[in-house]
Amino acid sequence: MLELKDVHTYYGNIHALKGISLKVEKGEIVTLIGSNGAGKTTTLRTIQGLLRPRSGSIVLEGEELTKIPPHLITERGVSQSPEGRLIFPRMTVLENLEMGAFSRKDKDGIKRDLERVCIVFPRLKERVKQKGGTLSGGEQQMLAMGRALMANPRVLLLDEPSMGLAPILVEQIFQIIQELNKQGTTILLVEQNARMALSIAHRGYVLQTGHIRLQGDAKRLHDDEEVRKTYLGEE
Amino acid sequence: MQKLRTALIIGATSAAITFLFGGWSAVVVGVIAGAVIGMTYGQRSALRTPNGIGREAVVPGLVGGLVVVLGGVIHQFIVRPATGQSPFFTHTLRFFGSNAQIDSITVLIISSVVAILAAAAAAFLIGSAQGLPPDKRNRQIAFALGGFLLLFPFYEQITNLNWMGALITVQIYILLALGLNIVVGYAGLLDLGYAAFFAIGAYTTALLNSPRIEIQWNFWLVIWIAAAVAAIAGIVLGAPTLPLRGDYLAIVTLGFGEIVPVIFRNLIAVTIREPFTRFCFVGCDPAVEVRIACLYSCEGPLNLTGGEAGVNPIGRPVIPFTPDSLFGSSSYLPWYFLVLALIVFSIFLISRLRDSRIGRAWMAMREDELAASQMGIDPVKTKLLAFSMGATFSGFAGAFYGAYIAAIFPGVFDFSVSVIILCMVILGGLGNMIGVIIGGILIMGTDRLFLPQIATLLKKFMQVSVLPNVSNEALRDFLSTSVDPIQMRLALFGIVLVIMMLVRPEGLVPSAERRAELHAGEEPRGAPVTADEPTT
Repeated sequence: MLELKDVHTYYGNIHALKGISLKVEKGEIVTLIGSNGAGKTTTLRTIQGLLRPRSGSIVLEGEELTKIPPHLITERGVSQSPEGRLIFPRMTVLENLEMGAFSRKDKDGIKRDLERVCIVFPRLKERVKQKGGTLSGGEQQMLAMGRALMANPRVLLLDEPSMGLAPILVEQIFQIIQELNKQGTTILLVEQNARMALSIAHRGYVLQTGHIRLQGDAKRLHDDEEVRKTYLGEE
Repeated sequence: MQKLRTALIIGATSAAITFLFGGWSAVVVGVIAGAVIGMTYGQRSALRTPNGIGREAVVPGLVGGLVVVLGGVIHQFIVRPATGQSPFFTHTLRFFGSNAQIDSITVLIISSVVAILAAAAAAFLIGSAQGLPPDKRNRQIAFALGGFLLLFPFYEQITNLNWMGALITVQIYILLALGLNIVVGYAGLLDLGYAAFFAIGAYTTALLNSPRIEIQWNFWLVIWIAAAVAAIAGIVLGAPTLPLRGDYLAIVTLGFGEIVPVIFRNLIAVTIREPFTRFCFVGCDPAVEVRIACLYSCEGPLNLTGGEAGVNPIGRPVIPFTPDSLFGSSSYLPWYFLVLALIVFSIFLISRLRDSRIGRAWMAMREDELAASQMGIDPVKTKLLAFSMGATFSGFAGAFYGAYIAAIFPGVFDFSVSVIILCMVILGGLGNMIGVIIGGILIMGTDRLFLPQIATLLKKFMQVSVLPNVSNEALRDFLSTSVDPIQMRLALFGIVLVIMMLVRPEGLVPSAERRAELHAGEEPRGAPVTADEPTT
């Protein structure tokens, strides 16, 4: 469904992605794990067109994305819950969610998705009129995910949904991710919390300084000795 | 008791105006004070029926009116003698041509009684509106405000208050501030060169609607052209600033604001050759080309903008079926209503823009540019639109200003104008139109109406009451030359700004979002959400 082939991205002269190739099939949860600075967020931003790859191709269901301007990529069905959430603090929860559907024109569909988001995140429903900036960290994460869902994406990109959250909330967020996937959403999940990510994903990629270091079935990666040592902190 | 205290504070603040102007000003000030009291009153009232709240507001209204009137009395019997004017003199009433004389004590009695009653009535009207559901409430307030704005100029004319000239300037600046509010308040782009668009609007009018050109274009057409030219200038400025944010953007706009007046100052020897003074429509024979406009001396160099001396005169608007002298210099009334109409029209347009997809995109960009572009907002289009829409309204203001003053000079559009407009937006409350209007009234009203009056009174006061009693010559010299609030206006202005930013950084009438942001720590978590800005 979504395929990256040998993508190279630069920040000025810094070679951030050194030939990333990965694949997300329909209905999958694919996780991208790696340490700080490995290029996880850069990969997601490149997919969304916020950064332009210098070479390589990104194909979504047969359509090349690297030539499309970023605001139209959202329309093609790629939406992201960004790192650090980046919700609109002075807009209400409802307005935040509506912003998620900014590039859509089908009013009925938007209404349907709004109802769906309210079912998935009952906490948001209670707080529709509250300003985004007054929500707690976990609620803001839910809002960022809900906002991304409002675009009715074909591929949902989640960037570090567990960042800065209490363990109990992390568990809750991951349950929701699994739930969304069961409802049919294809998800590309970027995480530092490798253990949690590998436990819910179907497949995984391990990213190291701009290269794909390992890839494969999530269970196999979880049992891989190198992964255990480096990312799961086990001896 | 607390409500009476509020009424006393509002009354005393307003009485500062009657203290300065005395006489007939009491009625106007009384109405305003009463309305403000009604506004604050309804919010805390225990009764929720419109009439109940209205009745409760009557007494504070009366008290406020009384305080206002007290200011007028002090003016007449203390300020006037202290400044060497007799408290007993004759007022002139003007009834559109015929005059009537009336002595000052009668004026004081009549205006005091009317002022107190009017304050109570205004408090009742606005107070009772507070008990209505939001849209009905807004409609009632809008009607009351509209009535006041329609009647006020006639009252001013009859009683010879002489406020109108200053008031029209205030209105022009409000129009400018409304436009800048789009750029700074909604889209969050700091623009320090906004006066440039004002200049572009004014000069467009000056060039198209001046006796210097062969066919003088009609004002009603020119005002749209001026707005369009300003909008295009907004895009021209916006384009190079696209990759910039925050401080860098502010510096570029600052440069633009400096460049534009310099260009107008120096466009004094321009040679416009054939294609620009003579137009040939597609397919026509060049021999019978249509000459649309020729500025005087089409063949040689042309003084396009008049340099430092500016353009003078500029054509005035003419309404069909009315005398051409309607917009002459003798009466302010038509100008007042014209600029009022422009403001109402702008408020309508801007509120529609704010609630549209574009408005949402602006606010999302202001909140977080990265997240906004992830939502599928095109940052290029959104930014350019903000600049050009903001410029459009200053184009209106510029066109009106050119026609109203009938002469423009490049020196009028310098950096301080940009700063003052920006201060109006920030002082009133970033992103809130009502706040911006109030900020404009406060800043420009103080600058154009109160400071000159204070200056006149203070000068007389010095001459009559202070200087004769000062024996030290050096001190007398110092006092007679240095005590001038007009000279100190920028210093006073600066002090007010510093205090304001320390005490109330969100502005006088902030939009709900800014209040939430700047006082987030002070409110308990999960506090009830404040209502959004009221729309009129």
